Parts: sequence; structure tokens; C-alpha cells
Amino acid sequence: MKKTAVRTSALFVAFAFLLSACTQTNSGPAPTTTTNPSPTAGSSNAIPIGIALALTSNVALLGQEGVAGAKIAEKYFNDKGGIDGTPIKLVIQDTGGEEAGAINAFQTLITQSQVVGIVGPTLSQQAFSADPIAERAKVPVLGASNTAKGIPEIGDYVARVSAPVAIVAPNSVKAALKINPNIKKVAVFYAQNDAFSKSETGTFQETVKEQGLDVVTVQKFQTTDTDFQTQATNAINLKPDLIIISGLATDGGNLVRQLRELGYKNIIIGGNGFNTSSIFTVCKALCDGVLVAQAYSPDHVNEINKTFRTTYLNQYKKEPPQFSAQAFAAVQVYVEALQALDKKSEISKLPLAQLRTELNKQLLAGKYDTPLGEIAFTPVGDVIQKDFYVAQLKVDKDGNNGKFAFLK
Amino acid sequence: MDITLFVQQFLNGLSIGSIYAIFALGYTLIFSILGIINFAHGALFTLGAYFTYALMGEAFGLNGLLANAALPVKLPFALALILGSALAGLVGVAVERIAFRPLRRKRADSLLTVVSSLGVALVIVNLIQYLVGAENYTFPGNTYGNLPAAINFGTAEKPIPIRTVQVVIFGVSVVILTILTYFINRTKYGKAMKAVAEDPITASLLGINTDGFIVLTFFISSFLAGLAGTLVASSVSIPGPYFGIAFGLKGLAVIVLGGLGSIPGAVLGGVVIGLIEAFVPADYSAYKDAFAFGILFIMLLVRPQGLLGRRFVQKV
Amino acid sequence: MAGFLSTYGFLIVSMVMGALLGLSLYLPLMTGQLSLASPGFYALGGYIAAILSTQVFKVSDGLYPIGLVLLEMSIAGVVSGVLGVLVGIPALRLRGIYLAIATIAFVEVLRVLSLNLDITGGAVGIFGIPQPFLTPIEYLWIVIPLLLMSMVLLYRLERIRLGRAFTAIREDELAAGAMGIDPTYYKVLAFTLGAILAGVVGAVSAHFLNTWNARQGTFDASIVYLTSVLIGGTRTFVGPVLGGMVFTALPEVLRAIADTAGLPLWLAQFLRDGRLIIFGLLIVLGTIFFPQGLVTPDLFKRRKDRKSQS
Repeated sequence: MKKTAVRTSALFVAFAFLLSACTQTNSGPAPTTTTNPSPTAGSSNAIPIGIALALTSNVALLGQEGVAGAKIAEKYFNDKGGIDGTPIKLVIQDTGGEEAGAINAFQTLITQSQVVGIVGPTLSQQAFSADPIAERAKVPVLGASNTAKGIPEIGDYVARVSAPVAIVAPNSVKAALKINPNIKKVAVFYAQNDAFSKSETGTFQETVKEQGLDVVTVQKFQTTDTDFQTQATNAINLKPDLIIISGLATDGGNLVRQLRELGYKNIIIGGNGFNTSSIFTVCKALCDGVLVAQAYSPDHVNEINKTFRTTYLNQYKKEPPQFSAQAFAAVQVYVEALQALDKKSEISKLPLAQLRTELNKQLLAGKYDTPLGEIAFTPVGDVIQKDFYVAQLKVDKDGNNGKFAFLK
Repeated sequence: MDITLFVQQFLNGLSIGSIYAIFALGYTLIFSILGIINFAHGALFTLGAYFTYALMGEAFGLNGLLANAALPVKLPFALALILGSALAGLVGVAVERIAFRPLRRKRADSLLTVVSSLGVALVIVNLIQYLVGAENYTFPGNTYGNLPAAINFGTAEKPIPIRTVQVVIFGVSVVILTILTYFINRTKYGKAMKAVAEDPITASLLGINTDGFIVLTFFISSFLAGLAGTLVASSVSIPGPYFGIAFGLKGLAVIVLGGLGSIPGAVLGGVVIGLIEAFVPADYSAYKDAFAFGILFIMLLVRPQGLLGRRFVQKV
Repeated sequence: MAGFLSTYGFLIVSMVMGALLGLSLYLPLMTGQLSLASPGFYALGGYIAAILSTQVFKVSDGLYPIGLVLLEMSIAGVVSGVLGVLVGIPALRLRGIYLAIATIAFVEVLRVLSLNLDITGGAVGIFGIPQPFLTPIEYLWIVIPLLLMSMVLLYRLERIRLGRAFTAIREDELAAGAMGIDPTYYKVLAFTLGAILAGVVGAVSAHFLNTWNARQGTFDASIVYLTSVLIGGTRTFVGPVLGGMVFTALPEVLRAIADTAGLPLWLAQFLRDGRLIIFGLLIVLGTIFFPQGLVTPDLFKRRKDRKSQS
């Protein structure tokens, strides 16, 4: 009996500790969140920009790539003097893979860290859940990886730098026809539990029909699937001249590998999910030759992409993936919009609520020369991107070095 | 149905089923001895694959604490496989000490061991992510030497290709099944394990070191988990720390369908679910999981002991 | 205080919902039946509310009327109840781990259906669900009365004949049957009550999360609720309520601790990125040191004893 009493009191002490931790973070007048150990984060008047991406759960890879890009942007712009001498400071909060986690991260960033704007969340489904929170609090949100239909329409404060698929996809089908004009039969694969892949495959299938080709089969899979024997042989039996895959890097890469191992020899097109160098670690030498429609190319020629690419290469020893570039671009949009705003009226004197509203207006009005190329926004907040690319994956024989070779 | 297509789908089913079967073998072993479901099995499966990857001297990515680290040794695949699985087995023994033994001592509700094993799974998965990130890792291309990528079971005109690695997995599953069955039914150790499974108190009165045999069971089960994880990873690469957890639910369906605690049942259950999935028509392929779980549901209502289970498994 | 409420308003409401879902798992457990079907009914309730509010009751401007939310909740409750009876009658012939697995299979089938049907919006799900309140914290107006009602009902239930019948079945089903209690009837009743509660909570949750998709109410969710109920305590309804709240809050509390100023960098970093490692460790330690759950009926008894002494 005594033992239980000890345990129970231990329990209550633990609760008291947790509770005090909860209030403690909130008691200070200044935001106490200094999440990111950046060289300038120490300065008290740095301008906080929230990064709400998934660092845990099974979508962590996408989030980690995004954070890598955002951190490079933070350092890059602070080294260039920040906003008229005032540095920016990223406040990173993990959203996990779920809707509730995204809302909690947003709430913390908005009320505790007092950020001027947020980059995130990772998944479109999370955006549908968390973006309305920011909309109601009148805090600008820039999606860096949300591509589903209807995201910018959530509200005035919601915009994105990640291009929706409709524009990107057709290019790669045309590129495939250029390589082999005799393509007739097309097999389509897509990950049906991924919002992005589902809308992308719609665009691919329309394009295929517009080009007068036959879709001989549509095979569905899940992003969590690993074995594609059945779907692959079903498709191969129909002897397609072209296979189009919409999925994420891991499942898509596995599918490519298994299609090749099972003897498929013709052209493969990968969707936007293939657009990361981690595809090479999945299918290695068997990725060779896959065509990918891209919203970002490491080979894009402008000053800022050159710096971004070099920094990324130095730090991570591989080509920057699209999600990193998009997160970089999102931070850049905030920085340049803040700079433009600062020229009009000194931002350090603006009250936070007004600063957020003004910033939102300013960022939608501007034009930005980012690693993605030149971008701007439609009035509703969707990205207008000039440059799209089709690349071909080139991998050497032992499968260790892969790169995106720019077509056209 | 065209005969080639039928054979193809049948072999496809065996190929998918062999992955489920090899996952389920160690999973069901713990159930048959201890009468508990070890949800950490999926995590140990993942861990085995990562251990083997590391022992082959491959480098890790840059997102975890061990950024770009690699072991100085480069072991050949077969040796790394054995060592990696043994390491997974040792982790399994530690898991038993930390998460299972205290509850067994207290004669706690067996549902609690389920929860505690889930806690362990959560720790292992997130520890992996903390250390080596969420990236995909693939074994080097020459894992299986000069074997062709696929074997043709049909003719030149009507090919029925099956990937070699899947054939290997199927073969290994059958070998493990044979060895386990022999070990449990024919050897002294196996018989002692069975005695512990039937009645631990009587077994200990008979002078059997109960704890020792439970540890042995955990070692074998976790060794098999690591072995299975590595072999499956050599087929589909390691997609991240959630690799094995993703098989957990399907694995559960497999061992229930085959008969909880029945070792041949795990293989049979895996093959049956694989065949069901392969024969779902392509237009309904999105519903294949619903078919698998729907059949599991009906199976439970009609014959809860599963295909090869005994009637009175009422430990949980 | 205002800052605290706006940061943690969402979390506080989530905690109350966690408690309610804990109760929905606890109800079948009162008769000794481990059912993991709650998340399935929760998902179903959410889809009912999401479809009704975006496609049937179209409200053009301003806040969505609370009356309609209550109506959606009732519809979700009724549908979940009917489905609960239909699934419960065959499934509750199973016991122990077999019942648990059958209910997992049921939840998986529902999930695959919602991923494939047009009306549920596939992978994207349903978004733009209208809001009855301006801030998340105001959802307390719905969930607190719901929690109080459920708790009062359960408090009464544990003390009347019905509750004693539940307990009798939990302790010894054969003996209960011999005493003239029809086990199947009571087991299906408890299962259905749990299903109704989960469906109703799902309906609120769809509004609360702004969106609904096939990722809601999956096997992972049932694991979290199972953990919270078992560690909270399975012998009195206070256990699941407390457990549900604590386990919903825990990841966020760890986040808050990680953000506390003055921590060494490596520790803050670990608390943030390794949050789930700590979460897992707490689950293991909780089961080992509190095998009866945190809240046991003894706890209340002792209190009473002490009071009467002083």
C-alpha cells in the first residue's frame, strides 16, 4: 500500500513538473523559442519566420529536405545583411505526419514565437487542416510542398511556391515522343493514397489521350507498398511502349527497379515525386534513362541557384532536391517581401498584426528570382513559375553516381 | 483465364506471399511460446536491415546524428547478413529483459505486454530516425553476385518473369520453416521450449530454466526478424525507419489466418494472402487490402483458430 | 492567460476528445472485450459530418450554426450505432486477441473504402469544412458537455444493474451466463455504446480539424487510445479520461519543454527530435510500473478512508 502511495505522489510531482513546463514557456514577455542554432539567432531583434515541416513520422524525409533548404536560405540572406541589417531567424517546429500535429505547430509559431509568416506544412492534407488556423489569425503561410488543388483558395493569407502539376506533366510526355515517335501503348501507374500523385496522374492521362496514344492499363499502388510484382507483370504483359509513374521517390524508385528487373525495356516517365536525388539510392543503376518532369533543376542558370547549389553540394554531398529548393524559395520570398516593405515603412516600428497583413500583401505583389527561376503569384496566391524542365536520369554502371541531365 | 496468365499470377502470389511469410515466421514463434503478440517485431525487422547495411561498410546519409558515418569494415553480404541478424537477436534479448520480463514477473494482464511492446517499437523506430535519418538506403547492386535479376518460368514467347531475390526469399522461408519445425519437435531444446509454452510452472518444477528458454525464444525470433528484414530490404531497399512497422498489420493478418502460434501456418497464411492479392482483378487492385482484411474478418468468424491453429489457444 | 489559451486552445480541446475516445474504448472493455473498432467509427462519424456540412447543409456566409453540428453529431451517432450492432453481433462471439484483430480488420476495410470512394474524396479527402466557432478553444462548448454527460452516464452505469452485469461478464463470462445474464446482449450493447460515442466525437472532430481524410482514425490511432486506456486504468472510467488527456498532451508537453529557454542545446535538440523516443520510453515504464493503470478504484477508496479518519 505504501508503495502505491509513493508512486502516486511521484506521478503528481511529474504532472506538476509538466504543467509548469507548459506555462513556463509562455510566461516570458519575449518569445523564448530559439529553435535554430544559426550564427545570428542570438540577436534579440531578429525577425522570426516559422518553419512547420515534418521532422518525424513517415514523411520525415520530405520535411528534412525542406528544412535543409530553409536553413541555407537563412544563412545566405543573413550573410547578405538580412533586412536592412536586421537578421531573420527561423523557428522550426515539427508537424509530424498528422493533421493535429500541424495545427499544434502552427499555433505555437503564431502565438508563442510571434512569427511574421510560416513556411509549411509538408503534406497537402495537413495544409487543409492547419492553413485555416493561420488564415483566421491573419498570418501569411507559404506552402513549399503542397501541390493539391484548392490550397491557395483556402484563404487570402495562404499562398504556395510549389507549382501544381497541370503545367509540368505534359512536357515529359512530349519529350518521350521526341525520343521514340512510335510510342502507341501507354501504361500508367499511380500511388492512390497520395493526394499529389492522384491529381498528377489525371494530367498525365489527359496528355496521353491528347497526343493520340492509348492508355492500355492504369495500375494503382500505395506509397507504403514495396513489392510491385503483380502490378508490374500485369502491365508488362500488355507490352507497353511507355510507362508513366506518379508516386513518391521510394515507392516510385522501387517500381522502376522492379519493372526493369522483370524485363521492361522501353521508356519510363516519372512524375514530380521522382524529383529528388534520393531516387538514385533506391533504383541505383536501374534508374538510368528515366524521364522526369521537374519544377526545379539544379542546372538552372541564375546567380542565386548557383550559390544555393554549391552550398548544398558542399554540405550534403549531393545535388539539391526540389523540396529543398522550394523551401529556400519560400524563405527568399519572405525576405525580399520584408525588404520591400521595409523600404516603404520601417518594419521594426510596425505592430506585429499590421506587419503580417502588410507582408502578405507585399509578397503577393512581388516578383522573385529564385533557384526555381523567376516566380510571382496569382491574386489568389498560386505560384506563377516560368521555367519547367524535363530531365533524364543518368547513372553510372555501379549505380553510385547519378544526376539529372537537362533535356531540350 | 489464359494458362500463362494464371501461372504468372500464381507465382506473383507466391512471391508477395513469401515476404509476408518470412516476416511472420519469427512473429508467430513468440506467440506460440509466450502467447503474446510482440509488436516490436516489425522494429527488429527494420533494425536487422540497418545492421546489415552498416556491416557492409555502406555510409549513412546526412540527416541523422551519425551523418555520413560508415564502419571501417566492408563485410560480404552473407557474413553481414548473419552478423546483422545476430545483433538484432541480441537487441531482442534486451527488449525481453526490459519490456517483457518485469510484466511476466508481475503476472500482468497480457494486454499490457502488447502496449509495452508497442512502446519499444516506438523507441526503436525513432531512435533509428534520430541516428541515421529517414532516408532510403539500398544495398549495393552486387548483393547476389552474378545471378540474373529475374528468372523466367515461362517460355521465350510467353515469359513469366519472377525476380531472383523473391525466389531466394521464398527458398529461405521454406528452409527456416523446416529447421524450426525440426528444432522444436525433435531436439531437446525445442521440446523444453514446448514444455515452457504449455505450462511454465510445471516446466520450472521439472528443472527447466524457464527464463533461459524464453530468452532463447526471443533471440531466435529476433534473429529471424533481422534475417527477414535484410532479405526483404535486398529486394525492395530500406525505405526508412518505418520499414518493418508497415508489415506489422499485414503480418498480424497472416499469422491469424494461418493459425496463431502455428509455424507452418505463418508460411501458409502468407502465401494465401499473397495469392488473394495477386488474383484481385487489376481494376480492383486498389481494394486488395480490403479483400485481404475482409477475408481475415470472415475467417475469424468461421474458424477463429485459423487454417492450421489448434482449437484452444486461449492464452490472451 | 490569453496567450496560453490561444496557443494551447487546440490542444485542450484535443485532450477532451482524447478522453472521449478513451471512454469509447473503455465501454467494451467494461465487459472484458478488447475492441479496437473505435477509430473506424470515429472516421465514419467524421465523414458523415464532413459530407453533410459541405454538400447538404450549405451555409453561405458567417459561422456555421451550432444546431446543425448537433444534428450531424446525432446522425453520426445513429449511423455508428446501427453499424455497431451489425458488426458487433457476429464479431463479439470472438474473444481476447481474436476480437481485437477482427476489429482491426474492420477498421482497415473502412479505411480502404474511404480511400477509394468518390464521395469521401479519395486521398485528398474533404476540405473546407465550415466552422461553427471563431477560435478552437470555443469547441469546449460542445466537447465539455459531451464529456460530462458521458462521465455521468458511466458513473451511473457502474452502479446500476446494467453495469454490474458488465462487470460480471468481465470477471467470468460462463458464471454470468449461468446466473441468467445474456452475455451476448450486454457485450453488443457495450460495443455499440462505444461505437456511438466514437461516431459523435468524429463528427465534432471533422469541424475541429477543418478537413477529413482517410488518414483519420487508422490503426495507429487505435494504438494511442489503447495505450491511454490501459495506462490510465481499466477498472474505473476516470482512468481512460485521464489517460486520454495525458497521452494526447504528452507530445506537445515535450515540445514545450524543448522550447524552454536556458536548456543546453543538445538537450533541447534531443527533446525536439527525439520526442517520440521519450514517448515510447514513458509507455514502457508506464506499463511496467503501473500495471493496474494510473487510476485504480483503490485510489478513491483510500481517499475516502483517510477522510473518514480525519
